[in-house]
Amino acid sequence: MKGIVFNLLEEAVSTEFGDATWDRLLDDADLDGAYTSLGSYDDAEILRLVSVASAALNIPEQDVLRWFGRRAMPLLAKRYPTFFANHPNTRSFLLTLNNIIHPEVRKLYPGASPPVFDFDTGDNDDLVIGYNSARRLCALAEGFMQGAAEHFGEQAGITQSACMHHGAAKCSFHVRFHP
Amino acid sequence: MSEGAPADAPQQEIARLQRRLRRETAARLEAEAIAERGLRDLFQRQQEISLLERIAVAANEAASVDDAMRHALDAVCRYSGWPLGHLLLVREGAATGLIASTVWHDESDGRYAAMRALTETMDFCDAGLPAKVLRSALPAWANADAPDAGEYPRMPLLVQLGLASLFAFPVVIGQEVVAVLEFFSRERQTPEESMLRLMAQVGTQLGRVIERRRAQERLVHDALHDPLTQLGNRKLFLDRLDHFLVRSQRIPDYQFAVLFVDLDRFKAINDGLGHQAGDQVIVGTARRLSSCLRQNDLVARDAAFDHVVSRLGGDEFTVLLDNVTSAATPIRVAERLLEALAPPFLIGQQQVFVTASIGIALSSSGYQDVQVMLRDADIAMYHAKQNGRARWMMFDQTMQEGALRRLTLEAELRLAMGARQLYLQYQPIITPQDGVIRGFEALLRWRHPVLGMISPLEFIPVAEEVGLIGAIGGWVLEEACRQLRAWQQDHAMPSHLPLSMSVNVSATQLAGGALVDVVTRVLAESGIAHGSLKLELTESAVMADAEHALAVFKELKALGVRLSLDDFGTGYSSLSHLRRLPIDTLKIDRSFVSAMDSHGDKRQIAEVVVMLARTLGLDVVAEGVETLAELDILREMGSDFVQGYFYFRPLDAADATLALAAPTEPNAR
Repeated sequence: MKGIVFNLLEEAVSTEFGDATWDRLLDDADLDGAYTSLGSYDDAEILRLVSVASAALNIPEQDVLRWFGRRAMPLLAKRYPTFFANHPNTRSFLLTLNNIIHPEVRKLYPGASPPVFDFDTGDNDDLVIGYNSARRLCALAEGFMQGAAEHFGEQAGITQSACMHHGAAKCSFHVRFHP
Repeated sequence: MSEGAPADAPQQEIARLQRRLRRETAARLEAEAIAERGLRDLFQRQQEISLLERIAVAANEAASVDDAMRHALDAVCRYSGWPLGHLLLVREGAATGLIASTVWHDESDGRYAAMRALTETMDFCDAGLPAKVLRSALPAWANADAPDAGEYPRMPLLVQLGLASLFAFPVVIGQEVVAVLEFFSRERQTPEESMLRLMAQVGTQLGRVIERRRAQERLVHDALHDPLTQLGNRKLFLDRLDHFLVRSQRIPDYQFAVLFVDLDRFKAINDGLGHQAGDQVIVGTARRLSSCLRQNDLVARDAAFDHVVSRLGGDEFTVLLDNVTSAATPIRVAERLLEALAPPFLIGQQQVFVTASIGIALSSSGYQDVQVMLRDADIAMYHAKQNGRARWMMFDQTMQEGALRRLTLEAELRLAMGARQLYLQYQPIITPQDGVIRGFEALLRWRHPVLGMISPLEFIPVAEEVGLIGAIGGWVLEEACRQLRAWQQDHAMPSHLPLSMSVNVSATQLAGGALVDVVTRVLAESGIAHGSLKLELTESAVMADAEHALAVFKELKALGVRLSLDDFGTGYSSLSHLRRLPIDTLKIDRSFVSAMDSHGDKRQIAEVVVMLARTLGLDVVAEGVETLAELDILREMGSDFVQGYFYFRPLDAADATLALAAPTEPNAR
């Protein structure tokens, strides 16, 4: 996992709950917490942080991830405005994930292995998004979708029809956006 | 106050540490941002380098322009993430505008078929983004939601297919746009300066591919075309001929013809007016031949009639006529070509008249070999020249046999002198009143060890053509004068009437510049009295260039040599020229002498010649006297001399010596 994800999590936690909360999470997780955006860190570290947060806040881990995804999006928009600038809406933005955003991520973070999304634009307004990653962070992806919709001032209706946590080969989201 | 300090100290310390933490965090973020920028730039640079490398490979290794462009479209699409790219080529030649090629890079499974179909049928003369690039020679782009989107005809379909933007850049050679590459993207485009620079580099590299193809085409063109006339050259002609020949062997009713066109007396134009004028005549001829063949009425009667005009070199042209239905077609074409050349060329201020001789060979003769067919057309052309030039001749097999014999004679004749196969015979020239031998005519003979006796009528023209006549003529003069010297020493004659020797001089010898020098030398070497040498020239040789002949005659007369006009009355006799020529003797041709006793007209002509000679103060020699009746008539007419079988056949030197020594018996032989 790239350091940037830890940085975003730290910023989201610190902004909403204060610096001390982040320090406590690190202590509880028994992590030294020295993350630089360009560094790579063990995936287990982020899972431990999520687990500790889940326990501290008394909410399920999946919800922690969803919360993190939503909160991370405005931070990303501040940090990388160009990724968002050329899109009129959420749908357009999401459709470029594989082609634009992931290559950009790889430019910044050599060795990054971002998840692969697939899109079925179909005939109706529903966008079907497939998520496939060994990390199985589908809840984080859902949070990112929500956050993106908020960035573009839209309402997102998201239902998950399949999940890797329940034995599916990949996770599947049906997404619909309203202004 | 002093107690307060410790109480404040931790607060201040915390505040200080927090400030410090913020500084450190800011420094870390700054450092990360710098590193990220560096990484992004590095990545970008690597991508650019890899793109340019791929373009270079495409440019250098592709088998064709299309192939190179296909690879380039692929590389640019991969670099930029664009799903669809297309090549448009700039029209070559007079027409301007773009041609939408069928070369695409398309990552979709037929999803963009409608865009491809629409694009390939569009006319990009002045519409659309590619035309804008062609006009400006700069990259251009258009976004679906931009205010100017309405200017682009394909924009509605583009949006319908889920695309958002169009980008195009030129492929250039120097300042010239030779092609345009266009790309379709899903996202709106606002290319950065670095991107535009990169695409300019790609455009320049790809321009080299087209430049190289042009150079190759030029090389191929040059290798197959004559630089002066831009007609096909010998190689192109033979290639096409071979192609036609193969087709004629495959398709039973298919026929074609080769016309071999050679200008008449082109060397005289070149020598007289200079090479530049000669070149202008060649270029003008090429133009007339080509435009004559392009005329519609000429080809109207043969539906699939086609032609190829080539210049083999010098003043030789060939015309290949495809799909002729009969011999009538090439004949009609040949006549039209001769007509086309009839009007004079204006070279500088000079009107130059040019004619051509044309030989025709037809594929119906069943040729297997292009060289043979070309040779036959050449032989027919040669016959057209022999038959008076400015005409066409159709090849037939007897021409080939004649040509073969000529080639054999030419080769053998070069060896004949050294091999002592040439020798002289001497026919006595007699005064008919007393039957006394007054002189001889030297006659050249060729006895070939295999071919046997070869007539001078056959080999003299060959010697003239291949340039051997000078050497042979010189040898004849030498040999004849040497022999005369020997006879003069052994057989004393009255000093006012020494034994004479007549030697024939060909038209070629007369036209060449060496005759006077050769005669001077031979006279000096043999030591004979100059007046005892008679040079015999034919009337036609004299008339070919009467002014020149007159000048040479005067020089020869100045040497004291005597001159005789041979075959008088057989050609276009010009009495006014005859009067001006300083000749001593007229010869009555054998055709007037033969059987003159039974043909009144021949006799009358002979009489006129004798009278003419008397009037001009010339001697008369009658040749070909075979019967007593003929001799009587000539004697009565007052012919000064006679020669012929009645007295003597031509004799070898030894026999002639014997004849000289024998006692004279008038009318007895």
